[in-house]
Amino acid sequence: MSTTTTNDVAIEYRDICKCYGEKSVLEHLNLRIPRGEFVTMIGSSGSGKTTALKMVNRLIEPTSGDVLVDGRNVRDADPIQLRRNIGYAIQGSVLFPHMTVEENISYVPNLLNKHDHERTHKAVRTWMDIVGLSKDLLERYPSELSGGQQQRVGIARALAASPDILLMDEPFGAVDEITRSQLQAEISRIHRETGITVLFVTHDIGEALLLGTHMLVLDAGRVQQFGSPEEILARPATEFVRKLVARQRHTCDLAEDQLCACGHSGAARAEASLVAR
Amino acid sequence: MLAQTWDLLVQRWDFFWGLLLEHMEICLVAVLIAIVFGGIAGILISEYQKAAKPTLAVVNFLYTIPSISMLGFLIPFSGVGDATAIIALTVYALLPMVRSTYTGMTNVDPAVMEAARGMGGTRMQTLVRVQLPLALPVIMSGIRNMATMTIALGGIASFIGAGGLGVAIYRGITTNNAAMTVAGSLLIAVLALVVDAILGFVEKRMRVRGAKAHRTNRRLAIGAAATCAAVALGATVPGMLAGTSDTIHVATKPMTEQYVMGEALKMLIEHDTNLKVELTEGVGGGTSNIEPAMESGQFDLYPEYTGTGWAMVLKNEGAYSEDEFDQLQAGYQNLGMSWVGMYGFGNTYGIAVRKDVAEKYNLKTYSDMARVADQLTLGAEADFFEREDGYDALCNTYGMSFGNTMQMDIGLKYDALAQGSVDAIVIFTTDGKLSTADATVLTDDKGFFPSYQCGNVVRDQVLQQHPELRGVLEKLQGTISEQDMARMNYEVEEEGKDPKTVAEEFLRSKGLI
Repeated sequence: MSTTTTNDVAIEYRDICKCYGEKSVLEHLNLRIPRGEFVTMIGSSGSGKTTALKMVNRLIEPTSGDVLVDGRNVRDADPIQLRRNIGYAIQGSVLFPHMTVEENISYVPNLLNKHDHERTHKAVRTWMDIVGLSKDLLERYPSELSGGQQQRVGIARALAASPDILLMDEPFGAVDEITRSQLQAEISRIHRETGITVLFVTHDIGEALLLGTHMLVLDAGRVQQFGSPEEILARPATEFVRKLVARQRHTCDLAEDQLCACGHSGAARAEASLVAR
Repeated sequence: MLAQTWDLLVQRWDFFWGLLLEHMEICLVAVLIAIVFGGIAGILISEYQKAAKPTLAVVNFLYTIPSISMLGFLIPFSGVGDATAIIALTVYALLPMVRSTYTGMTNVDPAVMEAARGMGGTRMQTLVRVQLPLALPVIMSGIRNMATMTIALGGIASFIGAGGLGVAIYRGITTNNAAMTVAGSLLIAVLALVVDAILGFVEKRMRVRGAKAHRTNRRLAIGAAATCAAVALGATVPGMLAGTSDTIHVATKPMTEQYVMGEALKMLIEHDTNLKVELTEGVGGGTSNIEPAMESGQFDLYPEYTGTGWAMVLKNEGAYSEDEFDQLQAGYQNLGMSWVGMYGFGNTYGIAVRKDVAEKYNLKTYSDMARVADQLTLGAEADFFEREDGYDALCNTYGMSFGNTMQMDIGLKYDALAQGSVDAIVIFTTDGKLSTADATVLTDDKGFFPSYQCGNVVRDQVLQQHPELRGVLEKLQGTISEQDMARMNYEVEEEGKDPKTVAEEFLRSKGLI
């Protein structure tokens, strides 16, 4: 990290503190996120992860410290222009209920270029393809879509103006397990294909380990550890991180027919207790 | 009753149709203004939350002002007529509009709002593209309530000389024509229901989704906007054109005889001259609202009573008698008005006794009655026993004391007299029922009751501009006796004749037209 130049840093937090009255939600956050990384931010609720995320597009202003996007202090940026260049997808995706799928996805492009309808029209169809939605959904309203489809529209909407940075705040919190793994695969693929920098807030450690090229673990407003998933798993820096990844550290990937041979597997222990009875 | 109402509606459909159009115009203008300003206010206070509480408190306060006081309060500023009515209706319509807009705007899901903000919409873009469309269902139901309320409340507009169906209601009440009142009320109810249904349809259309439905909606909206614009234009343009100097604006008080005189004045002036007459009938509050409008030039002419002018306009103390007419005329000169054409009748308090009683005691004057008062029963309205210049003062002046008194409603006095449950009643000298009652009106020989001779009060400026007007009004001098007026009131109130018909018959009988 020390070798990266400012040019390669997409987002930088410089000694960020955030208080609401007496209550401190972030304390001395220092972090550099290199361009093209997929950073998952994890911590229990109230750990400050969403707060840190929203500072990037100035939905929340820090009490002290600076946030730099592409080397530029966001305090000096026009929040409107800043936000238009940063994709934003939120919990449960929150589509505009009075707009069709097409209108939702073209919301930001329409804010940017009011006249080039042809370009917007094309972009919408391209992104529908990328997020795996069929074109006959374009005229539908959000209430007529399944949960998974809504999330995909939410991602397409966040990406429609081809931003360099994508902020995602627990985007898959409200969908079932199977849909979620599909969506996780999609977002990984999109990240690989576009090389976009992603900040992804989640409270699911499995998701954080699976998606992140880097992980930020926060607890009570303090950084517990920042590193690759492998580093987090192999060398938890604090007790909090150790507890967080305890299950994943104990998971083994034995093949089905070998499960009972390992005395520590859940299957073997269950089998043993049945025999004893 | 219903059959009568139906007959009236059919027979005089032109009259009601005109009132219905006026009603729609007044309400539409008020509703449109309220939508624009109430909507803007609602949006502003949802953006600047600090202003919300005080703003809502103010519109709430305005809403609680009783309509009669609101109108009374507005008259000094905006005079009588449509403008004041529209202002009053708009003020009442503001509360539902501001509140529903505010509620709608603030109840939009905050997560949706943050999404819109986070994606880089400006405040304006977020407002127009996201917040307002999502608040629209709530705002729309507010508009629906507000429009219905405005139409119902529009009935009070006639009280201050504006048009609308309230004219029929008010005229029905003042001329004892229940069918007229019911017809007016019924039409207001029907109008309110129809408008509610139309707005309900609009609400439904707005919820329909899909490109085709949107296209249909756009076409419907353009059609509706065009219709509204046409009606609004129809409301304002004639009003502006009517302001020309060749129109005489005549006002009347809400009394049967004044409705008749108003129609007679209009017919006679338009018959004898090239002037047009615009008649504003039954202005609520009578002198207290018409006189200021005369001073501000909104009205040019109205029939007034000398005693009223003496006390209420010139604010003189003491009972007026006709000996003081020159002083009255001089006082009005200072206001730039003149009394022209005294009709020859007075509408004042009087005492009537049953004919057999009058004959039995040989009663002609109040002094005659004072001798035998202890053997008589007097009937009068509660008001007469209460007022300072009422019963007690009368008894003191004539040194009399009635054997018995009875408090009764104005409509029952004549029946009570005929049945013998009272011997004498306090009357107004032009009461319609007096013309058929078996009663003798006694002479007020000590001049206890003030004189209320009827005549026309005209603005001097108008008399200068149109010198021919003086001649027309002077033709009416001394043409109507108290008996004549009482009979005409009877024809309207008891026989259900149209004031216009009665006025025409009168003018013909005098050979004036």
